[in-house]
Amino acid sequence: MSEGLEQVKQWILKRHPERTDIAPDTDLIDNRLIDSLSFVEFVFLLEQLSGRSIDMDTLEVDEIRTLAAIEEQFFKAEVH
Amino acid sequence: MSTRPVARSPGGPGWANLGMDIVSVTRVQRLLDEHGEHFFTRMLRSGELEDCSTGTGLDLLGLCGRIAAKEAAFKTLRVRNQLLPWRDIVVRRADGGWPLVELRHRAARMAAEVGIQGITVSISHDVDYAVAVAAPIVGEPVAVSGTGSNGPQHTQPNQHSEEYPHVRGS
Repeated sequence: MSEGLEQVKQWILKRHPERTDIAPDTDLIDNRLIDSLSFVEFVFLLEQLSGRSIDMDTLEVDEIRTLAAIEEQFFKAEVH
Repeated sequence: MSTRPVARSPGGPGWANLGMDIVSVTRVQRLLDEHGEHFFTRMLRSGELEDCSTGTGLDLLGLCGRIAAKEAAFKTLRVRNQLLPWRDIVVRRADGGWPLVELRHRAARMAAEVGIQGITVSISHDVDYAVAVAAPIVGEPVAVSGTGSNGPQHTQPNQHSEEYPHVRGS
């Protein structure tokens, strides 16, 4: 797991103290780990960690649905 | 990966799905403290932010109410796998003080596809929370092509009389 994605996971865990871990394929939306309000802040976080600007108008839900998808979409370069 | 059981949705001609949302003032205050007022431009257009500003700064309850109204309006659309298009669901303040919803671009297209011609919304708040309930104005679904952000604007008819039937004709 890249450093950026680990920070993303810790950000979510901090807001959900009932959880101790999040599996890479856990559906963040369906499990209500990210809701509409936190989504906006979440995109802000992804921009800061990935160094990329994210257009919320074109962002697809599947791009942020799981940690695995987020790594693929925003932190893939760090894996190489 | 869906982890929740699902039931078959009712529906049919004339069926209207309400939407409701509640927003914690504490959560929004934290966002304001950590990221500043500019953060909310990701969710609200400049006119909306002006609507919930006072001479002494941002009206936090007003801001929470608008956020709740947008989410409630979005819930009436019952669309799958779509992120809330925050800035395309515009909640403005009418002359009478009641909220008006205007659907733009992606939100307008989502509404047209499910036959929603407009959305009426009501907001309430007290100290720690703001809540909003929204109801769609249902028509015939319209086939819409494309998912870009340059589609026609979509406004609701008869918002005043739907929201405040007691002022109809006044």
